[in-house]
Amino acid sequence: MRPENYEAIKQPPSNEYELNFGPNHPGIEGNYAFRVKLNGDEVLSARADAGYLHRGFEKLMEGRLWIQNIALVPRICVPDPVPMEVCYSLAIEELCGLEIPERAQWLRVMQLEMSRLAAHLFAFGGHAATTGMYTPMFWGVADRDLILDRFEELTGGRVYSIYNIPGGVRRDMPDGFLDRLDSLLDYLDSRLPDYDSLFFRNQVFIKRARDVGAMTQEQALKWGVTGPNLRATGLAFDVRRDDPYLVYDKIDFDIVTQPGGDALSRNLVRRAELQQSIRILRQVIKHLPSVKGAVRCPIPNPLAWNVPAGETYTRVESSKGELAYYVVSNGGDKPYRVHVRGPSSMHAVQVLEKLAVGSRLEDIAQIMFSLDACPPEVDR
Amino acid sequence: MNELDKIPVRQEISVAQGGAKRTNPLANVFDELVRFCQSRSMFMLHYCTGCGAIELPPAMTSRFDMERLGIQPMVTPRQADILLITGYVSVKTLKRIILTYEQMPAPKYVIGICSCTVNGGMYWQSYATAKVLREYIPVDIYIAGCMPRPEAVISGLRDLMGDIKSGRADNWKRYFQNYDHYLGNQQQLFGEDWQTPTDIIAEAEHYGLMTDQTLGEHTALLQKHQQPLEALEFSLGEKREKIQGEER
Repeated sequence: MRPENYEAIKQPPSNEYELNFGPNHPGIEGNYAFRVKLNGDEVLSARADAGYLHRGFEKLMEGRLWIQNIALVPRICVPDPVPMEVCYSLAIEELCGLEIPERAQWLRVMQLEMSRLAAHLFAFGGHAATTGMYTPMFWGVADRDLILDRFEELTGGRVYSIYNIPGGVRRDMPDGFLDRLDSLLDYLDSRLPDYDSLFFRNQVFIKRARDVGAMTQEQALKWGVTGPNLRATGLAFDVRRDDPYLVYDKIDFDIVTQPGGDALSRNLVRRAELQQSIRILRQVIKHLPSVKGAVRCPIPNPLAWNVPAGETYTRVESSKGELAYYVVSNGGDKPYRVHVRGPSSMHAVQVLEKLAVGSRLEDIAQIMFSLDACPPEVDR
Repeated sequence: MNELDKIPVRQEISVAQGGAKRTNPLANVFDELVRFCQSRSMFMLHYCTGCGAIELPPAMTSRFDMERLGIQPMVTPRQADILLITGYVSVKTLKRIILTYEQMPAPKYVIGICSCTVNGGMYWQSYATAKVLREYIPVDIYIAGCMPRPEAVISGLRDLMGDIKSGRADNWKRYFQNYDHYLGNQQQLFGEDWQTPTDIIAEAEHYGLMTDQTLGEHTALLQKHQQPLEALEFSLGEKREKIQGEER
């Protein structure tokens, strides 16, 4: 297009204008766009523009073997991949009626909580960066890296571990792993007061995040909000406690709630969950040596594995909210249909659109990062 | 001995033969200095196009610390030197990548991170992704892996720095020299009325990079479908009200 073809359309004088917020924008989380109509800097209406990361997972999974999909599922949510693998494995185990060994269940809980810690540290760093504080971002990313080191030792992969398979986990943990995990937890525990004084009790953050993007409990339930965002509105709902899977019913932990429902409450819930995850991991370290046995139950030849016909719906609590898989099998070696119920598609599309209206332009990034949505999971 | 005398001491290529005559002996020194400076101050565009972007924060922050090599994130394409394509490229993203790439000032470099940019990776079956990035924009360096570790990313960037320093990294010229080829591939994906607001042909003339491959049948389509650009009108307000009105 040649520049001489540019012709500005004459518009009546107005304070209203429309703005493309993303996808190439540092205030947006990942590859995701948001179109807003503004009056000055007040948002009049907003519309999410997703689909930049669409890969057609649910279709791809229908064309691959049950075991091949294990490599595919963690890619759905990049910052928090382990719950994806575990939830998919749980679905297949339920269809096949497999009883997985207890040691594998404890190992899965350990990974789930490690992944939750890593995801919360990343989210807290991201939120700090949107308020202009870069030190917490550097700290969060650096401490997350220490958890990734433990993942690498356990599974061989830094981000995508592909460690959980239907029937258990791939291999037992290396010698001395629990000691190193324990010293990592000691370190993270000692970091929490630093995070508090740097960020969570910082007036810059509190004044900036209070009453931003507030929703009531009724609204949250109506919009399908789950996870830390729902607990920030005062409702103590957690899949780990209310619909226990693996060995969560043997573990002692608190469900933290906050009354506010705003960006501040959501961050404080995540802050408290860091502590709860460390608490769960300490119990795992205490229990795991006493649980002996195999780490996976015998499964048929995975390349010719016909899963019995049936359908199932399994759910786990990921760091973003309630994650569920609806899996249908027609008795073949490939899934007939897999549907992923991701928490982020509710948070990043309908909730964000509604919370943004009436807020200000500079608060959109605050709201988005405090909801902790994960764009690859929205688009799938 | 006579043979040796016949060899000219200094080979001069006349302008008519196609070579530029260098009169300033410091010209090369200056070029090298500029290339050295370019290789040591690279601004990479802050555009997370796929899942490989999750390894960039560790690479940028204190543990692996890309900043000590002079690499910093930059928020706008108009001031960026490097475009990192981190992972799979869906068709919708590819349009934005091409728009972004064309807005960047030359010299510009593209790095394809993750296996998905090389050949589609694990999404080779997907209906939604563009498989080979090299067909749509010229790529300087590929970093394979799913996903490559921060060390691999830094190693790839160091390779690029070496290429820039020695003057080998000139793939951005190919986009101007073979614009017809790249545009043809883009049109195959987006339809033949695909247009970008950037005037690549005029830029190629400006840089002196016009070849017989720059113009062709595909750029002719560009002229054919060219229409006056209209101001972006978001149908947000009206459409929304309409939809909401119908619901009521």
